[in-house]
Amino acid sequence: MPIAELVPEYIRSFEAYVPSCPDPELMRLYGVNHLHRLNNNENALGPPPAARKVIQDFEAQRSAIYPSGDSFFLRKTLAERFGKDPNRFLVGNGSCEVIASVIKAFCEKGDNIITADKTFAVYEWVAEFSGFQARLIPLRNYGYDPDAMLAAMDRRTKILFVCNPNNPTGTWWDRDAMERFLRQVDGRAIVVVDEAYREYVDDERFPDGMELMERHPNVVVFRTFSKMYALAGLRVGYVCGQREVVEYIRRTHIVYSVNGVGQPAAAAALLDDAEHIVATRRMVAQAKELLLPAFEALGLKHVSGAGNFVMVETPMSDSLVYRQLMRRGVMVRTMTGFRFPNWVRVSLVQLPVMQDFLTAFREVIETGRQGT
Amino acid sequence: MSPLSPSRLVLELEPDQAFLPTAAAATENAAQVYGLDAQASLRLALAVEEYFIYLCRFAGREEPIRLTLTQGGTFVRASFRFRAGEVSLRALNFAASVDLEGGEGAEAELGLLVASRTTDRSSLELSGADVYQLCAEVDRGYPPGEPVTAPQHLSGPLRLDEAPGTGALQHSALLAAGRYPTRLCPRCFLRPGRFADMVAANQYRALVALDSADRPAGLLCWRASGRKSVVFSGPYVFADAADLAAETARLLTERFLSLVARTEAVCAFSERPTRDLPKGWFESLGALHLPERDDAGHLTFTDQPAFFRHLREDVGGAVWAHPDLFPFLRAHYDRLAFSRDLLAAAPPAQSLLPAYSLLATSWDRMRGLVVLKPLLDGRDFSANLGAHVRALNESEGDDAPAILVHLDLSEPWQGALYPALAENGFAPRLILPHGGNSDILVCQHVHADS
Repeated sequence: MPIAELVPEYIRSFEAYVPSCPDPELMRLYGVNHLHRLNNNENALGPPPAARKVIQDFEAQRSAIYPSGDSFFLRKTLAERFGKDPNRFLVGNGSCEVIASVIKAFCEKGDNIITADKTFAVYEWVAEFSGFQARLIPLRNYGYDPDAMLAAMDRRTKILFVCNPNNPTGTWWDRDAMERFLRQVDGRAIVVVDEAYREYVDDERFPDGMELMERHPNVVVFRTFSKMYALAGLRVGYVCGQREVVEYIRRTHIVYSVNGVGQPAAAAALLDDAEHIVATRRMVAQAKELLLPAFEALGLKHVSGAGNFVMVETPMSDSLVYRQLMRRGVMVRTMTGFRFPNWVRVSLVQLPVMQDFLTAFREVIETGRQGT
Repeated sequence: MSPLSPSRLVLELEPDQAFLPTAAAATENAAQVYGLDAQASLRLALAVEEYFIYLCRFAGREEPIRLTLTQGGTFVRASFRFRAGEVSLRALNFAASVDLEGGEGAEAELGLLVASRTTDRSSLELSGADVYQLCAEVDRGYPPGEPVTAPQHLSGPLRLDEAPGTGALQHSALLAAGRYPTRLCPRCFLRPGRFADMVAANQYRALVALDSADRPAGLLCWRASGRKSVVFSGPYVFADAADLAAETARLLTERFLSLVARTEAVCAFSERPTRDLPKGWFESLGALHLPERDDAGHLTFTDQPAFFRHLREDVGGAVWAHPDLFPFLRAHYDRLAFSRDLLAAAPPAQSLLPAYSLLATSWDRMRGLVVLKPLLDGRDFSANLGAHVRALNESEGDDAPAILVHLDLSEPWQGALYPALAENGFAPRLILPHGGNSDILVCQHVHADS
């Protein structure tokens, strides 16, 4: 029997995500001697000092020992930081792993999830390769559309994913919008509030998921150490919710998936984040001050809300802009895969790198305009 | 047909001619159940008979032949899956010579040749080390429609219908056929019922733009081409006002790209790009010298641009090619800013090759376009290719078609075929990035008078 006949249709029709090659290979392929990574919204400042020290002090011999299977001390630190029971936290190998755990915990054949069409792709991917329908609601004015999401709900809707702030547009629901939405969901489904970029928002109107879940027990919050805390290479993310909800998620969650250096580094980052957050926000603000007027001078539309990234519309194919920038040692994220064809997303980092980006970007855009 | 009707019938048959009536009767019956008329059903049954007789002689006997009859929406397909180490598949070459004096084996090949020519499409694919899939397709009949040439009085705002119904599809197809040259319209636009059924069967996907009064204002359609790419036709725009026309084209193009962006497709290629394709959304691959029918129905050659759009970030790669191709490949990859390692593909020793090669032929008579793809290498490759060129040119008299060869550069043996192509008058024209397992090199036969 052909192997394909053993494979469920929803797997056969699913295309695996192909991550980019490692930097040295990319540099060889594109013939450059440097590469500015502006594609993954990494924090170019690196982790807070206390987390750096944990990483530097990590003894090689400890690699022989399994890490805590359920991130015991990290959950304890999180519990102290947020004033909650450690058992209300579940730590995963990045937030992608906890997305899978939540979907596995609540969905069965015939169920669906709801999210936006132009948002972080992993909610949709995990649902689809698990055989569940992903109902994708178009953004309205670059933001999640609460009414359309509610209208799309039915008895088989198990989870609504709200990326707040949204990647890649940076739009976010304020407290009132979120409260109104949660009241209308009225506990009929789990609402995942993905706050991967919440530390970049400095606005008192921004809703705090940790607080929301106390009034709405169906709320589950995702957070990550990959963005603001600059520990993307160690892959640490977590989910927090009401104890009953987390207990169900725990049943589908792989233990021992978070490595032995990532756990203490994340805990240390959390305890030493005040100055780091201020410095990062300053870096992002300075980058925006440089880039946004430059995009306007080029006559290009841009979208930049909260988060360490900006989206800019290009007068040519984003995948061509990507390749042309790669030849100049700059890597950005194409947005066709986010259903924003002809846009690129640029991570906001230190000014010298932003200057390099702008020089290369202007050259590519101007050359492209001459060619069309 | 009700949704509960079976759409597939599978038979496993010993390679024994005693089962010939079983195969033929099952085919004829299934073809009628799946919507073919009596004549078309007989054509498919004839093809199956001829294939089955051939396979009884040559297919491996260690396992049964699997015959699958499939309802494809607008066609019915019969496909044989078989294992064969020594099968002579050369009769599937369009230009296979028929040696009537050649005894028993030659008669068997004649049967296969007749079968492949009497179906609407036939194909042969390798689907494993020693496993082949031999397919024959016969189309359902549809009445022709009359292209709509009357001006449309449309007004904004526009909206998109992502699941257009039969009526909207048929009307849009006839509007497109009335406003654009024949070469820019899929043939099914002139049989709009077929187009609507192709969309219903997912052979095509289509987007229709509607104006403020829900009148069709534009159409864009696309289909899968291989596992990793889609080819699109359009955008077809029905508004006369330039602003509304441009907005229609932009709306259709943007939504099309959004819809294919998170699918298995890696690239989108233009199959029939219209003048309304928005600037800046696609990259030029170059041009092919393709025929166009004039008012008298004759073919004249003009340069026709080819466009593509990468839907992902390119991760680089390696391609195999004969070193004679390196200057062409380097220049084109550089212009497209694709990073590729060029690996030298050396032709294999002649003694290691089988005697006969096999070329798949796809012939679109309306467009005057033939695409040849090498399926199997053989010692006679150059002669076989030359025979195809002669046969194709002679068969149409003054209306000789454009002949292209597609080489998949993921296969060293295909990359190494280039000298044989050059010997037979082919020149490299353009690269289709990710068009096959890897990039496809398109070579075109250079007509003396083109």
